[in-house]
Amino acid sequence: MIFNVSVIKSLLRLKGLLLSGFFTLLLFINLSYGQTAEAEANFAVCKACHTIGGGKLVGPDLQGVTERRDEAWLIKFIQNSQELINAGDPEAVKIFEEYNKIPMPPNNLTDDQVRDILLYIENGGVVAGAEVGETEQEVAEEVAVEDADTELLVEMKREDARHLQATFIAMVVLILLALFDLLVTKIIKQKWIPIVILIIAVIISGEVIFIEATNLGRQQYYQPEQPVWFSHKVHAGQNQIDCKYCHFTADKSMHSGIPPVAVCMNCHNQVKKGKITGETEIAKVIDAYNNGEPIEWVKVHNLPDHVYFNHSQHVNVGKMDCTECHGDVEKMDEIIQVNDLSMGWCIDCHRTKEVNFANKFYDQYKQLHEEIANGEKSKVLVTDVGGEDCQRCHY
Amino acid sequence: MDKLYWQSLDHYKDLKEQSNPDKVKPEPEFSIEGLDESEIKGKSSRRDFLKMLGFSVSAVALVSSCQMPVRKAIPLLNQPSDLIPGVPNFYASTFYDGNDYCSILVKTRESRPIKIEGNDLSKITKGGTNARTQASVLNLYDDARLKNPRLGKVDSDWETIDRDVLNKLQDARESGKKVVLLTPTIISPSTRQLINEFISEYPNISWIQRDTINYSAMRKANELNFGQRIIPNYHFDKADTIVSFNADFLGNWLLPVAFTKQFSTKRKLTDQNKELNRLYQFESNLSLTGSNADYRFTIKPSEESAVLLNLYNEIARATGANTFLAPVTTIDVSKAANDLIASKGKSIVVSGTNNLNIQLIVNAINHLLGNYGKTIDTTKPIHLNQADEADMQQLVKDMNAGKISGLLVYNTNPAYDEADTESFVNGLGKVAFKVSFAETLDETAELCDFVCTTHNFLETWDDAQPIEGSFSFTQPTIRPIFNTRQFQDNLIKWMGLDMDYASYMEQHWKSMLSQHEEVMGNFTDNWNKLKHDGVFQHEEDDSAQATFTEQALKATEPLAEGIELALYEKISMGTGKYANNPWLLEMPDPITTATWDNYVCVPIDLAEEKSLKYEDVVLVNGAFELPVIVQPGQASGTVSIALGYGRISAGMAGNGVGKNAYPLLHTKNGFTNNTGTVVTIEKVAGKTYELAATQIHHNMEDRPIVRETTLEKFKENPISGNEQHIIDEKNNVTLYSKVDYDGIHWGMTIDLTSCTGCANCVIACQAENNVPVIGKDQVRKRRIMHWMRIDRYYSADPENPEVHHMPVMCQHCDNAPCENVCPVAATNHSDEGLNQMAYNRCIGTRYCINNCPYKVRRFNWYEFANNNKFDYNMNSELGKLVLNPDVIVRQRGVVEKCSLCVQRLQSKKLEAKRENRALVDGEVQTACSQSCPTNAIHFGNLKDENSVVVQDNKSDRMYHLLEQLHTLPSTSYLTKVRNKES
Repeated sequence: MIFNVSVIKSLLRLKGLLLSGFFTLLLFINLSYGQTAEAEANFAVCKACHTIGGGKLVGPDLQGVTERRDEAWLIKFIQNSQELINAGDPEAVKIFEEYNKIPMPPNNLTDDQVRDILLYIENGGVVAGAEVGETEQEVAEEVAVEDADTELLVEMKREDARHLQATFIAMVVLILLALFDLLVTKIIKQKWIPIVILIIAVIISGEVIFIEATNLGRQQYYQPEQPVWFSHKVHAGQNQIDCKYCHFTADKSMHSGIPPVAVCMNCHNQVKKGKITGETEIAKVIDAYNNGEPIEWVKVHNLPDHVYFNHSQHVNVGKMDCTECHGDVEKMDEIIQVNDLSMGWCIDCHRTKEVNFANKFYDQYKQLHEEIANGEKSKVLVTDVGGEDCQRCHY
Repeated sequence: MDKLYWQSLDHYKDLKEQSNPDKVKPEPEFSIEGLDESEIKGKSSRRDFLKMLGFSVSAVALVSSCQMPVRKAIPLLNQPSDLIPGVPNFYASTFYDGNDYCSILVKTRESRPIKIEGNDLSKITKGGTNARTQASVLNLYDDARLKNPRLGKVDSDWETIDRDVLNKLQDARESGKKVVLLTPTIISPSTRQLINEFISEYPNISWIQRDTINYSAMRKANELNFGQRIIPNYHFDKADTIVSFNADFLGNWLLPVAFTKQFSTKRKLTDQNKELNRLYQFESNLSLTGSNADYRFTIKPSEESAVLLNLYNEIARATGANTFLAPVTTIDVSKAANDLIASKGKSIVVSGTNNLNIQLIVNAINHLLGNYGKTIDTTKPIHLNQADEADMQQLVKDMNAGKISGLLVYNTNPAYDEADTESFVNGLGKVAFKVSFAETLDETAELCDFVCTTHNFLETWDDAQPIEGSFSFTQPTIRPIFNTRQFQDNLIKWMGLDMDYASYMEQHWKSMLSQHEEVMGNFTDNWNKLKHDGVFQHEEDDSAQATFTEQALKATEPLAEGIELALYEKISMGTGKYANNPWLLEMPDPITTATWDNYVCVPIDLAEEKSLKYEDVVLVNGAFELPVIVQPGQASGTVSIALGYGRISAGMAGNGVGKNAYPLLHTKNGFTNNTGTVVTIEKVAGKTYELAATQIHHNMEDRPIVRETTLEKFKENPISGNEQHIIDEKNNVTLYSKVDYDGIHWGMTIDLTSCTGCANCVIACQAENNVPVIGKDQVRKRRIMHWMRIDRYYSADPENPEVHHMPVMCQHCDNAPCENVCPVAATNHSDEGLNQMAYNRCIGTRYCINNCPYKVRRFNWYEFANNNKFDYNMNSELGKLVLNPDVIVRQRGVVEKCSLCVQRLQSKKLEAKRENRALVDGEVQTACSQSCPTNAIHFGNLKDENSVVVQDNKSDRMYHLLEQLHTLPSTSYLTKVRNKES
């Protein structure tokens, strides 16, 4: 009997173990399925203040946070921490006070999205199923190589411009020489030679003039010195802060918005020393905030006069990536204008870019829908819905 | 016989003469009238050419060697969550200036107000505005505004002012000397309470309200008839027959925006509704309301009471009531009487004359017809214009007698608009201390010791109760631009309270709403909602209508023989308070189409008798000279002059424009009246004065432009009046393939039956699209820049013509004649049916202007911005703040025109795309359609089968302007139907 009992007991114990194991497995499967790349994108904003296992930043280290706290509480706190603090939740108040009363900005994440992020944190900041990423070392090296590429590109372009000038001067000299010989010195007996030279030189210098004239008023590769040495490479590249964390009106307004100093202070309340410039540059930002004097940034991307451009149309509706127009900002220290922002450049894109035709706004375009149904058209381009009309941009 | 349509009397004569082919004179092909000497001669020489060549070469060299300017981008330090650069915010507010009332929405961009819209939530104005409300945003950016409080003639600061004024006030209180607070009618319940508290703090102060335009006889008559000194509320939307005597209720009388909304609801013909209201107008000058009347009678002011009494007697005979002895008149009122009797309880009779006898007769007629409690409501009276001019007359007497030691004047300008300004100014000299609360240094403020400079209404907090139980709120939409202070804050300060008016008002409302807490709930939520909505309706059970006490009726005794004067308020200028507003100064009058001036409107027979013609100058009453307009429809034996001109201290644009007609107000039996003065008119021989009227340069010749019919004919056959449409449709054959749009084809329809020609749209368009003001000389040269104009045509009898108002803007033709002739394709067609204008492509050949049959294109002859020669709002750092940042300011040498507010279309489309939804019909509105007080202008997508514009286009009344040209406009008109028997 004793044996029997013990066998049964051990069997029961085993069953429990099995069961718990089964549930853990289930949970794990759940975990792998529930977590998406979206979580990583959403977490980009959190990264400004939090690390996963990298120690305290502005906010607490999030490693193991799901074990420390209740999920329901976490969801509430993440969605709107201030609400919880104002409601007098003791845990929330404690954290708030511990971290110097820097509020965590509220957001519009749904419960599921927050759960997704929590799983992402549990997973150590890697999307489940994704291959283990490169080490930081490798990333840094890669960035360095690409940086060199960008700088080289810019330098090459500048070199091009210098070449154009040199060509122009050479051509003018050639024209003068040819004319001089033709009319005065007459050293070359075959008259066609200076004439041919003259014609070629005129054509080439004309081409240079044309290129230079079209570039009048354009500012490609414009890289002014800014009042604060602000590095997009550090913020957007290394720290992976989402563009729209700082330029938060890009999907609401025509302007992407230069961030108010208060946004800088969300992090720089705590981060007072940078890796490259030390304290000097960050101090300028903190001083500006404390003295109530806004920072006078130099505008880099200037559109020609009489153009209406709306960021939200392109970023929000067109789902365009910022880099498509602004280049690899995350590899630039000081920002540089990569594209010439000419009308031809705009139109080229309007002619080739596909419209998100699933947007319900486009339901009224019956003819186009018909053509797609017939197979006459495979995709709808911006120009198909009036993207080349003058008064889309000029009014 | 066909009707003759004509625009001016010369045109009428030409038409008459055209029947005789020998007399037809060919028009000069190119008129050089009004051009400068240099423009006529064209005096450029070879040297000029070389100069220009040298200049352009060096300019090009300079430009190419120049660096691009460095532009700064300065973000806010701490951005409020509801302020996003590039996204407009709308705030509900109220426009009330002591005379006009309108509930509005203020559009702000980057924290500056740039446009006024109507507030849809208002039960009174229902989303409508008028031209003066639309233009009021420009007053905020008026350079004439005072920047600081003033002590004597110099700028001062608030501490000094507070100290000095407080000393004076306290001295007066201790010595018990009489001080008077003079204000316009205050309709703000909070301010009324504040003033009463202020007076209990300073018992020696008495409060007098004073109106520029007086309605006291109406209140007096109601006091006699109902025992209450009120103006009842009128419901024109419930009236089938309206008889109006000299009351311009569509333009100026009481609540014109509200009344226009109400009136126009009965001016809509649809498949279901085939009835219209009928308007009879008896008046001396041709007013906006008169121009919209179905039957209009011209009467002299002295005849009014007799005609009214005859009307009363006719109705009394039919209903078996008492009749009174009435003088015989030449006016036949039987038709009006029959209509009134037929629509008992569904009619309104009003008079705008400030005469007790007349108002008593009007009340008696309304009583006979049983209108009280139905179309006229005495339980919820109108609170506007409460003043009794007897108070003001007494004040002037007391001042002259030295009985008044102090005067506080707020927002009223008796030194300009009092009938007897002289004795007011004399009396003011005898007042020991004078404090003015004014925005600008107006005529009265100039005479005061202290000027406590006040905020503009867009910078203030306030509330208003224009009608009993209907409230609305004013809230600041911009931080005060100058060192100014709201009137109420001064009183609070001088009462020694430590608060501002905003919190005072909140407290007032808190105590008011706390009585209804169980219904209303939490105050803070409510208060936010009230400020958000801008309006609050206090629904209470209707108390019983007041009982009517009959009074003896009699006609007023006749005036002395002579030419009777009827003064009137212009739609643009009103009482003259905004005489420095260049938008209003340049707005063509809906009737005369004249801009920039006032003038004497002379009837045709008098003009013939005194051999007066357009632009002749006459001496009025031996006092001042004014130019003449021979006005069709002006009652014989009368002349008319607009009030509101001749300011001497309005500001740069308004000073010295026209002549001040207020001294010609008629005061009798204590009532001050616009009509009744007898004047003399003498021609000043050999003198002329140039007027800038727009009526000549938009002549559409004799084409079937205005299409009209009568209701009777319309009921028989809805196509009536529009027969030409069918013929034109048949004749229109083209080789071009028809343009087919996919998705969106913007279109507009204008219902000429509803449109009253109030010109609200003209100013709305000007504000929205940065249309420049160009000054009188340029207007005279036929260069007015308005993208939208209202054509006015007369027809039938010149002595009393029928009037047509027709808004015309770019018709956005699918087959646009302008597009074909542009050598640089600067004007072309969009995928959404817009006729686009690319300014930076335009080289200014003006071929398009010449080829446009509608004459809606405008050429920038000069740089109108930043040009000292056009010193209006676009040449002032302050004035430029009103510009719409979404619309460019056009440069010299380019053509511009209506874009159908493409910036609004684009932003609404974007909004729908962002929200991943289809566009809703009616959500996209142009500036003109949005605030139209008659809803005559509809805008929408012609490809959307359910849209209002498509329904309108299916109507039998629909036609296109000049459709015989086959331009295929996207804008269509609906014929005008008059409620007349044919």
